[in-house]
Amino acid sequence: MKLRSAHIAVITVVFVFGGIFISMILGVWRTESSKVPAAYTEGEFAGEYNPADIRGSYTFEDIEKAFNVPVEALAAAFGFEAQDNPGSTQAKIFEEIFGEIDGKEIGTDSVRLFVALYAGLPYTAEESTALPFRAVEVLTREGRIDGATADEIRQKHGVELGLDMMGPGAMETTGETAGAVDEPAGTDTHDEADEDTAIKGKTTFRDLMDWGLSEEEIEEVIGMPMGPANQAVRDFFIEQGIDFGSYKEELQRRLDEK
Amino acid sequence: MEKKKRRLSRKKVARIRTGVQIFFLVLIAVIAVNHTLSESGGGIPFIAEASLHAVCPFGGVVSIYQFATVGDFVKKTHESSFILMLIVFALAIAAGPVFCGWICPFGTVQEWIAKLGRKISGKRYNTFVPPRVDKVLRYLRYAVAAWVLYVTARSAQLIFADYDPYFALFNFWTGEVAVTAFIALAAVLLLSLFIERPFCKYACPYGAVLGIFNLFRIFGIRRNSVTCIDCKACDRACPMNITVSTADRVRDHQCISCLKCTSEQACPVPDTVELMTGRFAVSGLASAGSREVTS
Repeated sequence: MKLRSAHIAVITVVFVFGGIFISMILGVWRTESSKVPAAYTEGEFAGEYNPADIRGSYTFEDIEKAFNVPVEALAAAFGFEAQDNPGSTQAKIFEEIFGEIDGKEIGTDSVRLFVALYAGLPYTAEESTALPFRAVEVLTREGRIDGATADEIRQKHGVELGLDMMGPGAMETTGETAGAVDEPAGTDTHDEADEDTAIKGKTTFRDLMDWGLSEEEIEEVIGMPMGPANQAVRDFFIEQGIDFGSYKEELQRRLDEK
Repeated sequence: MEKKKRRLSRKKVARIRTGVQIFFLVLIAVIAVNHTLSESGGGIPFIAEASLHAVCPFGGVVSIYQFATVGDFVKKTHESSFILMLIVFALAIAAGPVFCGWICPFGTVQEWIAKLGRKISGKRYNTFVPPRVDKVLRYLRYAVAAWVLYVTARSAQLIFADYDPYFALFNFWTGEVAVTAFIALAAVLLLSLFIERPFCKYACPYGAVLGIFNLFRIFGIRRNSVTCIDCKACDRACPMNITVSTADRVRDHQCISCLKCTSEQACPVPDTVELMTGRFAVSGLASAGSREVTS
């Protein structure tokens, strides 16, 4: 049996697009992260989406769909209400726009904390996580938290956002081009060496070991056998149904001592 | 008159592959541009969120270890990469690295620059590398593939993107491309003026993986030694410098299934070099044993 160029052309197109079509029908064709967070596996909230699994790539719209937190509330909390399309704002840009304020960081974990408080879901934020005062005001105004909780959050995580941080520059950093935009002066107090070994959502066990922690040290901190070396540490904790925050602090402390 | 007709027919045959190549190149370019547009809330809805990584079948290959050990994909790759990997593997089992010769936009770009190279160097084009050196360099892409698979498995991230000229070509406007990738792109484009498909021959890790399928593909390039007139037209036509004229069946790991050597295009004798299964009707009687190119 012989095949001609015309046959190969047809076979190629049929294989490629037929394969894609079939995988679409089967519901397995995905060109982006599912944006469906993991759910609590046990306890009172079992089955509900866990804000701990909010990733930097999630937009305000994704969060609204998963947690029923309106885009308007998120935009107001983090100072994006003046943007043309606040729904497309990704959580990961916060670190780059706001960075560190008063020793605390506004980043994806701030969004997790806000969502958890707004939706009434349990979540322990990292010690270093910041939440803008305006976010606490939104939560209070909408009756999501009581006065005592608001005071506690203000004291523990509250920071003031400068107006310059929420200006038009913030819009330009939406999406993957974020790194190309100048950050507001004085907001980033990390030094480069710290950044290199800072534990983030994508940090794997292998990274921790490459940065100087032994397997035994890691397991001593987390109190159980660690996951595969190429697994993200945060994903491991979500899988185990454990809050990443407190363990992250201790792992980071051990790394910083190295 | 008949000869003229035949020449036109060969041109038309060549255009079939060119048409498919252009189609996929434009498709990938549109996806890449559209991804940038979608980041700012625009873009074409049907393909709005697909990134170049999401539609790269090699992303599936480098995710195999991650998928097997952790159950997810290397960052920036998705189910789509895995599915495309399986599709391309199926094509390769059937007819070899069809992806390289018919689909890969970076291979297409190198081929187009080769046309300019031929105008500059004439018959010397694609013969600059001494055969002994070339033969060794051809295995370099396996070292690249091994390194890429290793560092990706270790880091769970697309480390190769920082060196990938293909990624640089289709993302040069995004600010995501590393300087090293731009250097690799410039080197490949420059070398393409003297060597046909230099990246495919010497450095492409995906080409290395797909090249292995040449050893056991179902439809192979076969030469009928009885009707062959030993004119070497097939050898001269091969962009990968494979010596087709001495083989009964081409099993060279560098074949890209472009069909340029076949009786449809370069070979002047009908039914002498074909992409086929089985054997030619009379070749078995004439040949004492099977000769295969397996460099």
